[in-house]
Amino acid sequence: MASISSRRLAKELMEIKNDGCPVGIDLVKADDFSTWWFTIEVMGESLYPNEKFTLQFRFDQQYPISSPAVQFVVTDGREAPVHPHVYSNGHLIALILSCRYVHPFLGNEWSPVLSVVAVCVTLQSMLASCKEKQRPVDNDRYIKHAPENPKKASFPLNA
Amino acid sequence: MKVQIKNWHAVAQWRWDSVSDDTNKGDDDEGDVCGICRVPYEGCCPACKVPGDDCPLIWGECSHVFHMHCLLKWIGTAASKQQCPMDRRSWVTAERKIAPAQEPAASADHSRD
Repeated sequence: MASISSRRLAKELMEIKNDGCPVGIDLVKADDFSTWWFTIEVMGESLYPNEKFTLQFRFDQQYPISSPAVQFVVTDGREAPVHPHVYSNGHLIALILSCRYVHPFLGNEWSPVLSVVAVCVTLQSMLASCKEKQRPVDNDRYIKHAPENPKKASFPLNA
Repeated sequence: MKVQIKNWHAVAQWRWDSVSDDTNKGDDDEGDVCGICRVPYEGCCPACKVPGDDCPLIWGECSHVFHMHCLLKWIGTAASKQQCPMDRRSWVTAERKIAPAQEPAASADHSRD
């Protein structure tokens, strides 16, 4: 039997193929129901003109009850955006992706009624509203000990 | 002319009472699917095979509706904080008022007294 996550992802994929992605967001690959890649770029005036970033989503069998593991891809010449909530290894300090950290912009957490495209749009607007290009203050410390899967990272609440 | 009925098949259809009567049914596809699994209310949650009493809907006091199994899976996680996935208010299951069934036989009883 197809798992709950693959049924739900199949529906999301069909919607993306039928209706397309929002402006600035493109599907790169979704060959299976475990890893999807998107590119996002910020439209209009921003600190990231002509920059295109690749986002990776990894899903487990419990999606959408459990959140997807989302990070920027930093291999093969791709880079993570310089942003106070993006570590240089591509991991995010973003609350919708983990339940541990209250993100000042996103303000809310993962919910099973959210979708892959909704997360892309949230991150796109996170970049669009950036005032100063800088890494998180604990970047060096974090990337030294960061787990491979960002969902396994434990962000201290007062970081 | 005489008609003799040799046999007959009863056919019935049912729907969950998931939309209030004054809203336009069928107009909005989004409104007719469970927000968690995106399967129509009339279908069953992805874990079940047959729609019906074994895979019922659940209504919150916030007015949001889900497949009961989908909502319970979410509420069972620590991340949910027992909140409605739509509005993040604390989930309170609503008491459903059952509309009085139309029973013409009942009124007939009164006239007999």
